[in-house]
Amino acid sequence: MRNHKPVIYVVDDEASICRAVALLLKSHGYKVEIFSSAESFLAFKHLKLPSCVVLDIRLTNMSGLALQDAMAVRKLDIPIIFITGHGDIPMSVKAMKAGAIDFLPKPFTAKKLLNAITFALTKNVIQIKELAEISKINRLIKTLTPRELEVFRFVARGLMNKEIAQKRGTSLQTIKVHRGRVMRKMQAKTVTELILLAKKADINPSKN
Amino acid sequence: MKIQRKKNIKQKRSKKPLKREKSNNGGSFRLEKLVADLGKTGKDLREKIQQQAVQLRNINLQLKDGADKQLKSDEKIHKQNGELKNGADKQLKSNERIQKQNGELKNGVDKQLRSDEHIQRQNGELKNGADKQLKSNEQIRKQAAELKNKKGQLKNEVSKQLKAEEQIHIRTKAMEATVDGIFIIDAQEPDFPVIYVNQAFQKMTGYSKTEIVGKNYFSFYGDASDQRVISEIKNNLLQDKVFHGEMLSFQKNGKKCLILLRIAPVHGTHGIVTHYVGLQTDVTLMREKEREIEDQREELLHVTRVGKLAEFVSSLAHEISQPLTAILSYAQAAKRMLGSKDPEISRILSYIVSDDQRAADVIHRMRSLLKKNRPEMKPLNINNLINDTIVLITTDANVRRTILKLELEKDLPLVCGDRIQLQQVFLNLISNSFDAMERNVELREILISTAHKETGMIIVSVKDSGSGIASQNIPKIFTHFFTNKPDGLGMGLSISRSIIESHGGQLNAKNNPDRGATFYFTIPVEPKTS
Repeated sequence: MRNHKPVIYVVDDEASICRAVALLLKSHGYKVEIFSSAESFLAFKHLKLPSCVVLDIRLTNMSGLALQDAMAVRKLDIPIIFITGHGDIPMSVKAMKAGAIDFLPKPFTAKKLLNAITFALTKNVIQIKELAEISKINRLIKTLTPRELEVFRFVARGLMNKEIAQKRGTSLQTIKVHRGRVMRKMQAKTVTELILLAKKADINPSKN
Repeated sequence: MKIQRKKNIKQKRSKKPLKREKSNNGGSFRLEKLVADLGKTGKDLREKIQQQAVQLRNINLQLKDGADKQLKSDEKIHKQNGELKNGADKQLKSNERIQKQNGELKNGVDKQLRSDEHIQRQNGELKNGADKQLKSNEQIRKQAAELKNKKGQLKNEVSKQLKAEEQIHIRTKAMEATVDGIFIIDAQEPDFPVIYVNQAFQKMTGYSKTEIVGKNYFSFYGDASDQRVISEIKNNLLQDKVFHGEMLSFQKNGKKCLILLRIAPVHGTHGIVTHYVGLQTDVTLMREKEREIEDQREELLHVTRVGKLAEFVSSLAHEISQPLTAILSYAQAAKRMLGSKDPEISRILSYIVSDDQRAADVIHRMRSLLKKNRPEMKPLNINNLINDTIVLITTDANVRRTILKLELEKDLPLVCGDRIQLQQVFLNLISNSFDAMERNVELREILISTAHKETGMIIVSVKDSGSGIASQNIPKIFTHFFTNKPDGLGMGLSISRSIIESHGGQLNAKNNPDRGATFYFTIPVEPKTS
């Protein structure tokens, strides 16, 4: 945690591009890691720091677009900025639909690249924050008893205490006690907050 | 007789010594004694002589006996000889007799032969007579047959006449029914007058029979027709040559009509040209169709050429943009690192940046100038597309003595694609196959097949019997600028692959187990029809 500088990954099979882009980004204060292939990028142990990938579409073996797919499969949530010397429209459309930040035809100016990187990093910071939040919520959900989880799901669906009691066939008092425990355990001050947590954690309210 | 002479000689000899001893006896006592001795000796001698004489006589007797025997045996031999001679004489005589008999026999045989000949002759004469009889019989029969024949011939003649008339009738009808225009010109008149035209001719020119017959044939080409062609035809005909050619003529109503014309001279009994017979075919539609096909080919070739150029520029742009990108980034990094310290270097770096961008702009403009047409994706039947494309290359295939075989699966679902682009791919694959089979001596065959795979893909393959692909080249053939052809750019297959990929399919190649290679591509079935 000593180094909080964001890290930029540059993936291009042309060595001089890697070197030049790395130099440029370092001159702007970024930490840079360079890769000559999609495979070596996937094999790398990625740092838990705000980051983005500057990725060439055409690579020797696995293409940039294929790497984008592979990252999605592995839930490697790092924003991608595509660079290409041979870009055509269908390719760029495909890349953008799959969530790329930008699509820069070579040669690109420093300004364009830096703008895209700034945007990507902002997005990544939010992503990281959200991820952290979700993992925290999931951690809290794991402390709930099965009965409390059940009540949590009903609350998430927007049911009133009375309705829950009816469905469960228990007294209203019992439900109130359970809900109180859920709110305490989930660190929610209001019912609205609790419902929001459920949404973020994507617990399935329709279950049961 | 010889034996007798011998005996005589012996007698003479024994007398001689006796005479000599007698003359030697003379003298006294001694003489007496001698005489006594002599007497005694004489006596002895006499005795001896007598003995010898007896002996001689004996011998003589013996000899005589032997001689007698000899004589007897001689006689016997003589007798035997005589007998033999006799026998031989008899033999000779009998031989003579046999000879005589033989002669007689021969004579008899000769006579017999002569008589045989005679018989033969007589036979021959008899036979002759019989033959004559037969011949005359035959003649009678022949005459009867001839008479019959003549009757038949007469009958035949009549039916032939009828048949000939029928044939003329059929021929006339057939000529009338022929879809090509037929005309006959009288060659002995000066002005090429038409004496016959069929229906098709009238239809083709727009004139009726009554308007045509008797008029100059060439007047029916219309006033605007090419006079040079007409005089060429006339020249040919006047030299008794066949004319074969095409000319633009005009119908009665002025409508243009391109005709294919063949005119030949007709020779009469004395070898003189009496008529000209001509055939003319309306090839207006045919030529139009050919021109259409040619236009389509041209368009496709143009699109292919432009596509190649665009691909070329595009890959060139890619190659150049790589170092330009690096230069730009280096310069901008340097400016950031050094610019604040030295304004001069900062300015230089700015120049580098702006010139780099200028180069990038040039490339960008060139690329947008040759931007490929946006593909027009429409639902289409891949089999129809193949059949349409085959029409464009049939001539090429014939020239290259290549057989094109089609195995198209029926009722294929539609695919979504750009017609021109897919045709371009297809033509590229076939033209590669043509080139691959250039060196084949005998078998030149391309098999084009389509099939619907269960994965929602249609697979199209082009299989040839050419030289195949060297295995180390298989990964390279789809890359830019890779070519085995001396005049090739190495763009065809890379463009084809990018077209197929933009359609959501794949283009691949493999060598056949026996010979040649197969190129095959997939293309997804249109969702609505699958």
